[in-house]
Amino acid sequence: MALSTLPMDELRRLLQGLAKNGKQHLVEVEADLVQTTLLLTEAIEKLGSSFMAIHGAVVAQQNELDLMLASKRLSEIESEKVLKYRQKIAEEVDAAVTGLQFQDMTSQLIARTVKRVVGLRDLLAALEAYGDVMNTDGNHEDVAKLLEAMNKSLSTKSGELAGGLRQAVQQQDMHSGDIELF
Amino acid sequence: MAKTILAVDDSGSLRQMVAFSLNAAGYQVIEAVDGQDGLNKAKDQIVDLVLTDQNMPNMDGLTLIKSLRALDTYKTVPILMLTTESSDEMKAQGRAAGATGWLVKPFDPKRLIDVVKKVIG
Repeated sequence: MALSTLPMDELRRLLQGLAKNGKQHLVEVEADLVQTTLLLTEAIEKLGSSFMAIHGAVVAQQNELDLMLASKRLSEIESEKVLKYRQKIAEEVDAAVTGLQFQDMTSQLIARTVKRVVGLRDLLAALEAYGDVMNTDGNHEDVAKLLEAMNKSLSTKSGELAGGLRQAVQQQDMHSGDIELF
Repeated sequence: MAKTILAVDDSGSLRQMVAFSLNAAGYQVIEAVDGQDGLNKAKDQIVDLVLTDQNMPNMDGLTLIKSLRALDTYKTVPILMLTTESSDEMKAQGRAAGATGWLVKPFDPKRLIDVVKKVIG
């Protein structure tokens, strides 16, 4: 189908539709990410609280065993078993302390993703604003200028967004990070 | 008398794990929720070591280090960064600001204690 004039109404509706639908989806993404952060925080608080309580009970139990060991109420074999369990518990406690730190890193990544989603929503809002001012009577040259201005604006905003979102979490080693003394 | 360590981190779970590990090794721990809170608490009580995160609201770790190093009482107090940041560029900035060392999260309690002992005994 050949058009004698530019389909400005269609182009404007396309921009507005893209912006509106995109923003709606991004609002949902943002809400889900915020909820994920809340759930993760709640989970780690509960785990942290249980960890501290379990550790407190284990320490009390170990103190009781120490008394039994000191008073020779345990056989040599039983004493060896107790000491082995103690070592195993200490190793697992250290592993749990490391594991409980991953929520911090995950939350930082989620926060970065939320910022990007909000920035993307702003980009779409800018796109929508251009659609609003699009003149249906505009000639080819006017439309070309407007599209050029839109493109520049989007590039600038996208660059600003990326610049403010430095990647601070790039951990690959899941055991423990590097240590450097200056 | 137990040596005192100021642990600065905006993550409650991280502070909890740092305090747990250091307490178990016999250190006393003061917690601060961000750089500004850390600076205020460091001024209130001179501590033996500062262990700080980098990315925090209100005041980040590098700014905290520079602010502490500007105080006579903190010219020589060891300051360790404990952060997710692991780039050489950030480490160089930390070193220039006056950090004593750089620890990348997650930390292993044994290794953390080894470093703390090495730095403050």
